Amino acid sequence: MEPLHDLTIKKFHEGLLNKEFSALEVTQAYFRRIKEHDKEIGAYLSLAEESATRDAGAVDVALAEGETLGALAGVPLAIKDCILIKDLPATAGSRILENYTAAYDAGVIQKLRGERAVFLGKTNMDEFAMGSSTENSAFHVTHNPHDHSRVPGGSSGGSAAAVAAHFAVGALGSDTGGSVRQPAALCGVVGFKPTYGAVSRSGLIAMASSLDQISPFGKTVEDAAIMFKAIAGNDPLDATSADGADYSGITDLDNPAKLEKIKKLTIGLPEEYFIDGLDKAVSAGVERAIDKLKSLGFNFKKISLPHTKYALSCYYIVMPAEVSSNLARFDGIRYARIANAKAEGEKLSEVYLKQRGEGFGAEAKRRIILGTFVLSSGYYDAYYDKAQRTRTLIKQDFDNAFKDVDVILTPVTPTPAFKIGERANDPLAMYLSDVFTIPVSLAGLPAISIPVDGAHASAAVTGKGDLPIGFQLIGKKWHEADILGIGQYYEKLN
Amino acid sequence: MSSSSGDGIGKKELEHLAQLSRIEIDPKEADKLITDLDAILDHFKELQALDTANVAPMTGGTDLTNVFRADGEDDGGRESTNRGAGVDAFPESKDGYLKVPPVFE
Repeated sequence: MEPLHDLTIKKFHEGLLNKEFSALEVTQAYFRRIKEHDKEIGAYLSLAEESATRDAGAVDVALAEGETLGALAGVPLAIKDCILIKDLPATAGSRILENYTAAYDAGVIQKLRGERAVFLGKTNMDEFAMGSSTENSAFHVTHNPHDHSRVPGGSSGGSAAAVAAHFAVGALGSDTGGSVRQPAALCGVVGFKPTYGAVSRSGLIAMASSLDQISPFGKTVEDAAIMFKAIAGNDPLDATSADGADYSGITDLDNPAKLEKIKKLTIGLPEEYFIDGLDKAVSAGVERAIDKLKSLGFNFKKISLPHTKYALSCYYIVMPAEVSSNLARFDGIRYARIANAKAEGEKLSEVYLKQRGEGFGAEAKRRIILGTFVLSSGYYDAYYDKAQRTRTLIKQDFDNAFKDVDVILTPVTPTPAFKIGERANDPLAMYLSDVFTIPVSLAGLPAISIPVDGAHASAAVTGKGDLPIGFQLIGKKWHEADILGIGQYYEKLN
Repeated sequence: MSSSSGDGIGKKELEHLAQLSRIEIDPKEADKLITDLDAILDHFKELQALDTANVAPMTGGTDLTNVFRADGEDDGGRESTNRGAGVDAFPESKDGYLKVPPVFE
């Protein structure tokens, strides 16, 4: 059997059809590997061995019966714990949901079930997706597979680490301000945030609804594109989901005429993202990516996104405001209850105060309080309204830039993976980890984080690899095909 | 709301916000929370330099128009999750309804 660390969705599919292995064998091999090595990484919060084994076995039966199988049939995936899978735990990394079991499948899970994908388990995350290091999980810290003393990034750090450590072929995360792109860069895998509205948010435990977007992780751009194609599309249970574009051709790029078309795209380099404070390894890595793309024949152009510096403030007003509203539903009454936190004969208001006081961690409390503040009477205009207007300016920056260029290239993060504990007590320092991914989220655009030197397949879980560097390609709304196309050609060079 | 530490959040304001948020704050957490919130609010001051008088607020992540669907089961909509699978997830329920401690005190 193909070693797990070489397995991509495409290779898995070919091996399955050629009878090199069965779907069940591969799923069992992943569970063996997870049980042996996840103690060192902490990528998963819970495993779904029983259902995964059953679903993988069913794929083998379907194949034996001559059923035509799609690219994702039998593919073992890891799912972030804020995405609901019926009858499995969904804690969102929070104590307050420690005892919650999902009552239904998220829209994306329904779609992946239709493709016969296999779900290995639920991955660790910053509580309610609030963080950039996965240190805010109520349960345990996740370690970067390339250096165990460093963070995997966050908030989807468990999913990113699972793919990097070969604990799954691919994974789903959610990206609100960079929560898929940033950990992808820090773990050396591909993370792809689609246009806001391209993928249903139904069954995603909401953090900030105007920004949240379920997004795939893969070892290759092609894998990310295959997963995206499967989960994209309108869902009546998410009123903001749309039939945005025709994505049928995005994984079919072995066609020279298509390469010629993609090579004509102009790539913009915004001066505001290439700043002095950029870590040397990051700027060198991004330069390397630019040089490679130039060797492929792409044209580059310098551009400006003048309101970039206001994006962080804008985001940290808009997002907590939505958080304070979305997290009001977790009250110890409706979804789950923390044991012992409710005494007999307690009044409703006391239950709320106690359950939420004990159930939420420090960052969740900070954002709920901050959101309540910026929405409160007397402060609304100065903060929330101001931030919404600033958001318009940030979106207009991109609209203007896209008159001159087709795609924008930037770093993903200011630094490679940082040490566990390094930023844990300084919220502002932690927030700055997402400074290059937040503007895209505010504007609702598609963007992909690609490892400069390819997926770091060899590092596995030894913890002794070089720290990966990523670069980000940002596309026009609904133009996922542009950045996925450039990305797929880029990785053919590696 | 008045503020005891300039533009920041004082102890009294924090108590009020915690009450509005229905979160019990441990007195040990309060000082660190105030320090962190003040640093964050201080960062927000940069927005004051921006002229946004003639800019329309962006009120969501999308410029799609609203989508409507049939409302309840009686109008041809789907069964509400509260009467479907959602009930199973309630920590306490009775006859298919959510069990809640007394609301009026």
